Amino acid sequence: MKLNETPVRTSRNFNINNIKLENIEIPQQIESFENVEKIGENTITQDIMGCDLAYGLSDELIKQQEEHANQKLKITIDSKENKEIQIIFNFDSKNIQLVEHIEIEAQEETKSTVIIKYKSQQEIKAYHNGIIKLHAKKKANINVILINLMNQNSNNFISIENKLEEEAKVTYTIVDFGGKNSITNYYSNLKGTSSNNILNTIYLGSKNQIIDLNYIAELQGEKTNIDIEVQGALKDTAKKHFKGTIDFKKGCKKATGNENENCMLLSDTAKSIALPMLLCSEEEVEGNHATSAGRVGEKELFYIMSRGFNKKEAMKLMVKAKFNKILENIENQQLKNEIEQEIDKRLD
Amino acid sequence: MSKVKLDEINRNIYDIKNKDEYDYKIKKGLTPEIIEEISKQKDDPVWMREFRLKALEVYNSLELPTWGPDLSELDMNEIATYVKPKTSLNTSWEDVPEDIKDTFDKLGIPEAEKESLAGVGAQYDSEVVYHSMKKELIKQGVIYTDMESALKKYPDLVKKHFMKCVPVNDHKFVALHGAVWSGGSFVYVPKGVKVDIPLQSYFRLNSPESGQFEHTLIIVDEGASLHFIEGCSAPKYNKVNLHAGCVELYVKDNAYLRYSTIENWSKNMLNLNTKKAIVGKNAKMEWVSGSFGSKISMLYPMSILNGEGSKTEFTGISFAGAGQNLDNGFKVIHNAKNTSSIVNAKSISKNGGKCTYRSLVRIGENASGSKSSVSCESLMLDDISISDTIPVNDIRTDDVEFSHEAKIGKISDKAIFYLMSRGLSKEDALGMIVRGFAYPISKELPVEYAVEMNNLINLELDSF
Repeated sequence: MKLNETPVRTSRNFNINNIKLENIEIPQQIESFENVEKIGENTITQDIMGCDLAYGLSDELIKQQEEHANQKLKITIDSKENKEIQIIFNFDSKNIQLVEHIEIEAQEETKSTVIIKYKSQQEIKAYHNGIIKLHAKKKANINVILINLMNQNSNNFISIENKLEEEAKVTYTIVDFGGKNSITNYYSNLKGTSSNNILNTIYLGSKNQIIDLNYIAELQGEKTNIDIEVQGALKDTAKKHFKGTIDFKKGCKKATGNENENCMLLSDTAKSIALPMLLCSEEEVEGNHATSAGRVGEKELFYIMSRGFNKKEAMKLMVKAKFNKILENIENQQLKNEIEQEIDKRLD
Repeated sequence: MSKVKLDEINRNIYDIKNKDEYDYKIKKGLTPEIIEEISKQKDDPVWMREFRLKALEVYNSLELPTWGPDLSELDMNEIATYVKPKTSLNTSWEDVPEDIKDTFDKLGIPEAEKESLAGVGAQYDSEVVYHSMKKELIKQGVIYTDMESALKKYPDLVKKHFMKCVPVNDHKFVALHGAVWSGGSFVYVPKGVKVDIPLQSYFRLNSPESGQFEHTLIIVDEGASLHFIEGCSAPKYNKVNLHAGCVELYVKDNAYLRYSTIENWSKNMLNLNTKKAIVGKNAKMEWVSGSFGSKISMLYPMSILNGEGSKTEFTGISFAGAGQNLDNGFKVIHNAKNTSSIVNAKSISKNGGKCTYRSLVRIGENASGSKSSVSCESLMLDDISISDTIPVNDIRTDDVEFSHEAKIGKISDKAIFYLMSRGLSKEDALGMIVRGFAYPISKELPVEYAVEMNNLINLELDSF
């Protein structure tokens, strides 16, 4: 299966233009999925518009959405009081395949937080193909927190698309821990003048997990801004591809874009590949990207160990310290605790 | 408010067109018969003739790149791949035919030889027309000659290294090169010999609708050192010309090589060149690259750090004006412990030109203790130009230090304001900023090229 194409190709020998997954078949029949918890339900309907996406993971997965989606949810935000909405998908032995389509419409000048969480029981082999489409209207301020805590036998595919109108602000926080294969396509269209998208991600790969992140931001409006911050850690034989594209389109005068990716390598067999692209067709812009990879600092480890921690504990502390920069944006303390427990569990 | 305008590079010198006179020009196209004829004209040994025919098969079996600039205007049926100039190899400028000598005179090559070079090679179309080297170096066992002579005089050395560093199936244009290569330089620096003054080869393509496919093979033996300079130019014609050269560099243990290139091909040239270095234990390979000409350029020099403790540095600038698409960059493979790479790439886009920085840093499983630092900066001088950065960073082990950073933007109004508040005119402030931007590269160039580069980057103001 070939998916998650970059918007601009580079040499085929670099093995980064897309990801090819062996021995994975898209299920032809999709069973029902009922184990869904919803908090703030009065804003959620099933009135979704359609699956057309500018990018998306692949035509095959989008087609599956069109024909077999087993959860369709439309979230309409019309409150200025930052009410929290939560949707939790629990994979278990009776709910093993989820093909969900979520649309979020944030009305003008509204404020909101939407938490979407995927959890799975340990022993099952779950399949997830999701689409999340967000339309942030003029001056809307929306905070989306996407938590993937699926197990390491499952496959996780997700396509995200955002459309930002004038002065809209979208803050996306993605916690990407689960899935034997966890493949994410994220596309933001910053069309509205002064619209702003903050994207923060933490990922954690262990065993033979494959994490493939393809983030694309198109800056079209004047004074638009995108900030991408990605912090990750890989152990065992885990492998990560990070493809981040900031595309300054003609006309996006005074736009700014920053992208920073840091990968902590916790074993000598983990692999980190990064392709941080800057594409620029406009003069009056500022774009920066930085990527780095390497071990956790020896000096810092030594310092923590001299305070009585063993190496594993010290390593965990270092990883958590890096992740904390992103996790502190999550106000829901219960959720934050759950994520921290998962970090501990997965780093053991 | 006024706006920076950079002058197009003054190409008067480079655009001198000589009459298309030659001793022999092969018919256009690419067939086994044409390859056989080139091989016959060049009096190849049998193994080279067979090598060429095999390379043609590989060429026909490979696709055009599915990425990068559009190469659809290249029609090999319209390109003559071999043009033999109306002179043979000379060791004195006096013997070079007047019009060819006049061209190289205007390009400053004989003058540079007298003043600052240890040896010079000059290629005109498909063959080297002049080659010489200081006697002291000959005494020390340094070999600097054209590839054809090397193939005859040092057959074993050439056969052992020829297209081993850049295998013929690397990509389509390497295969093309393998089939039709002609000219180029061969350098061998024996163990422990330090060549303090640079050697320089200059490549000039005069004939329209033709290609230049020179092969440069340099072996710097253990503990030796060399600085090699390559310059290239051509006059502009209406139809495309093709340059698909190949540079193979062997930097043995503890050796040092600096390879500097000033590329100023005409703006009808497709520059699809391949350069690669294999670097031995504790050896160092430095690339310095200035890319100003060509209609399309796809050039990604590569260092393969095979020896423990080996190092490489790449310092490069691209300057794309109207109608130019310069897709340049660098590749490095860390293939041994404690290796290091430093990359400093810059680009300037103006008048609708497009610059792309495309790169690969791969730190392999066996390269623990390695370090890599990459920095690239792009300057956009107007809103009709394009500047892209497409770097791949592939890290396969944990005990490494790797960092990459890139910046893109225009000249800051604050910086101009600051300099103007110190009494500089706006023109001078802009000029100072652009030269400052290019300085990390120009300081690495030989002084006469640095001056030339500063002349090329000539600022003026244009109100709007």
